[in-house]
Amino acid sequence: MTDSFTEADLEAYLDEALAPEKMTEIEAALRTSNDLVEQLKAINARRDEGIHALGEIWRHLRLSCPQREQLGSYLLGVLSDEEASYVCFHVETIGCRYCQANLQDLKLQQSEAADSSDTRRRRYFETSAGYLKDS
Amino acid sequence: MSPAAESDALLVERIRQGQSDAWNELIARFEGRLLAFVESRIGNRAASEDVVQESFIGFLTSLPNFDVSRPLESYLFSIAAHKLTDHLRREGRRPTLPLAGGSATSDGDWDLAGSARAPSSILRSGERRSLEADALAAVIGGLIEQWREKGNWEKLKCIELLFVRGTGNKSVATMLEISEQTVANYKFDFLARLKTLVRKEGLSEEVFPELYEQKR
Repeated sequence: MTDSFTEADLEAYLDEALAPEKMTEIEAALRTSNDLVEQLKAINARRDEGIHALGEIWRHLRLSCPQREQLGSYLLGVLSDEEASYVCFHVETIGCRYCQANLQDLKLQQSEAADSSDTRRRRYFETSAGYLKDS
Repeated sequence: MSPAAESDALLVERIRQGQSDAWNELIARFEGRLLAFVESRIGNRAASEDVVQESFIGFLTSLPNFDVSRPLESYLFSIAAHKLTDHLRREGRRPTLPLAGGSATSDGDWDLAGSARAPSSILRSGERRSLEADALAAVIGGLIEQWREKGNWEKLKCIELLFVRGTGNKSVATMLEISEQTVANYKFDFLARLKTLVRKEGLSEEVFPELYEQKR
């Protein structure tokens, strides 16, 4: 079971940064695989010792994430074929959660009724603004 | 700093001054993407909105510690990821098990993220670790920019698969329809550049083991 997850996937799992379907797979595997648990322990121990992983640095600092404007252009179909191919690769093959979220948001902005998001935003504001003075 | 980053930094500054319209603007700017991030895992709109709500409160309570030179969006995503993890643990979806020292709690749960991590085991400061990561990231970022400018998308995809997903050479070759030798060449060149940087900056080779071991 654990053979299906790379070290990089497990690192991303710990950071809640892996594609949702892969996150779910790992969660399911964790319930039955002690080996997988040991692998996760080893990653945390390695982090505690200050050992870096290139993929972690790349992912944390989002070194290859397209700008939000580029994602918007991708949705509009105005990127060059090569750029569009890369965005598709980054979002679907790499499974970048942050870019997936941005793309989903941009898609919804085009279709969602404005009053629905306004209501949501007003609720967020009203429930959090009290903390503003204390920050 | 990019125009978007400058705009975010100004917005944060206004929020720090207690301007409620700025806070409203930040919510409007980021709530959609945070909601999409959370909902992709929870699959329930009401629960996802609650997690996003907690994330915004978490942002305000942690605001004094936020470094405006860092990307605001990434900071918000990291808070949302923590709140999401907490939610999934409460729901029993995300297993929590003891990592070290057998410090299982009474209900059998364990904390993957760190309660079992003894402070004494942390050998180097977070600040130094961050500086090392930033130094390497600057080089990797520069290489990515070069590949993009030259239209070398194949190399970018290859290196990203190898290191961000941990995909093996053979699978990368198959996925990108290139030879294994090409994959090996891209990898060798990439690692060589990073090793040069590590030497030049006087960084410890021990903390970047991937640069010096042939795992795949």
